Amino acid sequence: MLSTLQPPRSLSLLPLRRLRNSKTIVSAASSTTSVISPPQSQILTTRRSLLSGETTAAEIAKSYLSRIRLTEPQLKCFLHVSENVLKDAQEIDQRIAKGEELGPLAGVLIGVKDNICTQGMPSTAASRILEHYRPPFDATAVKKIKELGGIVVGKTNMDEFGMGSTTEASAFQVTANPWDLSRVPGGSSGGSAAAVAARQCMVSLGSDTGGSVRQPASFCGVVGLKPTYGRVSRFGLMAYASSLDVIGCFGSTVADAGMLLHAISGYDRFDSTSSKQDVPEFQSQFLSVDHFESKPLNGVKVGIIRETLEDGVDSGVRSATQEAASHLEALGCVLTEVSLPSFSLGLPAYYVIASSESSSNLSRYDGVRYGNQVMAEELNKLYECSRGEGFGGEVKMRILMGTYALSAGYYDAYYKRAQQVRTLIRKDFKAALEQNDILISPAAPSAAYKIGEKKDDPLAMYAGDIMTVNVNLAGLPAMVLPCGLVEGGPSGLPVGLQMIGAAFDEEKLLKVGHIFEQTLKGSSFVPPLLANVP
Amino acid sequence: MATRALLAVISASPNRCFISPSRIKILQSSTSSSSVHFHRHSRKIHRIARSYSSDSDSSVLQPPDVSRLAQTARISLTPAEIEECETKIRRVIDWFGQLQQVDVNSVEPAIRAEMDGGNLREDAPETFENRDSIRASIPSFEEAYLKVPKILNKE
Repeated sequence: MLSTLQPPRSLSLLPLRRLRNSKTIVSAASSTTSVISPPQSQILTTRRSLLSGETTAAEIAKSYLSRIRLTEPQLKCFLHVSENVLKDAQEIDQRIAKGEELGPLAGVLIGVKDNICTQGMPSTAASRILEHYRPPFDATAVKKIKELGGIVVGKTNMDEFGMGSTTEASAFQVTANPWDLSRVPGGSSGGSAAAVAARQCMVSLGSDTGGSVRQPASFCGVVGLKPTYGRVSRFGLMAYASSLDVIGCFGSTVADAGMLLHAISGYDRFDSTSSKQDVPEFQSQFLSVDHFESKPLNGVKVGIIRETLEDGVDSGVRSATQEAASHLEALGCVLTEVSLPSFSLGLPAYYVIASSESSSNLSRYDGVRYGNQVMAEELNKLYECSRGEGFGGEVKMRILMGTYALSAGYYDAYYKRAQQVRTLIRKDFKAALEQNDILISPAAPSAAYKIGEKKDDPLAMYAGDIMTVNVNLAGLPAMVLPCGLVEGGPSGLPVGLQMIGAAFDEEKLLKVGHIFEQTLKGSSFVPPLLANVP
Repeated sequence: MATRALLAVISASPNRCFISPSRIKILQSSTSSSSVHFHRHSRKIHRIARSYSSDSDSSVLQPPDVSRLAQTARISLTPAEIEECETKIRRVIDWFGQLQQVDVNSVEPAIRAEMDGGNLREDAPETFENRDSIRASIPSFEEAYLKVPKILNKE
């Protein structure tokens, strides 16, 4: 059933009573078609059913908690499920009953990656060194979600401190891909992506330092949105690489990811790298497909990044990307090929910068003020043992690589050089985005691979980040949305298209992405696991 | 160019220019091809690997001494861990070496993405309300003090 998508903000300004009595129905029902309908925004569907009295926040919460109970033994997306979900939902219902104003995220169930601080709830970054840590404060992004009525369902699994692409580097558990339980969900925000794909929550927060939101979005068949660096406050996000980290959003639709992003964006005085740029009303981009013109993206210039479609990319991924490009053309886009000559340098530059910055950021985990402590007779021994036992293998390796790259005499050869390469990459993107509205590429060179396949070879795993790291180096916004299925698993494996925009131009990405998604025929991106789950 | 990055990653190894068939498989899709494709790949890889081999400026830099790095980073490693780490780290650092090939003459290093400047706060203390929660996280706390063992002078 197609529905008119309306900006939630306009709804929240109307007193509740008037809406209940109103004869005007927010959603425009249209004739059901025999083809698969375009996906609907869960945030707006929730809002509509709460405001109309069709259901309550508590009922919705119960059904999601039941789904979590049924699917968690196989999926292991969550490290911690909140004990307060029903209580929070009941509070929303009480506010509705009193006719109080509702925030745009009222009753929306949200998963939060475990490296984002949630007051009183364990936040471990999937590391033993923070195994029982409960932060005394909420991250700004979490605080904003709560202020707008969102309900934190729980903390999702990830690769330890964000270092990894599969969740296999979690100290606690490996998350399974809902499309094929023998495959990885991607990483490091694998838990957040899989939880949305499996409908354990409606939307979720992740973090993206080198592709950690976009690659799992591709592997799990959901939308992953990485904002411009500085768009969302990093206060409360446990730092991995401070010049690259951003908090990002997952949703089952572009509209949901966009609305969540809007909720958490904005300047924050607690993050000196957060931007004072205005946050536009992203929601105005989410028109109903009924209102699309015949060529709704007429004249939009799209550049395909040539270097991302050469050898080394699975043929299935390449075809899916090319089909997505044709779909954009059919919508009116003008497609050209662009070249980013510095493209291949991004991967080593990224790993130098990320491991260097992480070696500095992770020095705070010393077992003294928080986290697991291994007592010793001497202070340095305490540090060494607490960190030696608390950190996993991949984390230790990256800290040591970073320590090396930043050592006296090596700084110029590695870190400084990588920063210079960053300048070259930024220049290439800037030039390409002056000629094009957006750039597109695959999100990853393959679909989800088997658990254990790349665990022992760090370079093979790093290679998978080739499509995503340059965007972090340039600080640009990017979104991945499912565009097709390739062979593998019981019903095929999803593949995502990456769209990259100019700095702070999330609006354009969301507009193009939403129209692409709502007009894409033929694929329903609901994993087969859900066929037997209510 | 994506090819070169991907293949260079797989082939980065100080003493070898060849890649085992199992490594190639990771790059090839399950729906693709034949031994002809594989041989073409391996010749290309051999060429690229030679261009990224260790006969460059990076030979001036000493290879990583993992025990010393672990000491600097205050991380204790078992001998088995040191051995495992050493192999992996050397491969990765070697792979980093390709950055030495890039002409960065007169290129300004970028600290981060472009930013509005001047987002500094007043240097004035603010009280944090939830001090009990902070205290609850401290592993060894004895009223008003975080307890730690003695510090020995390094020899």
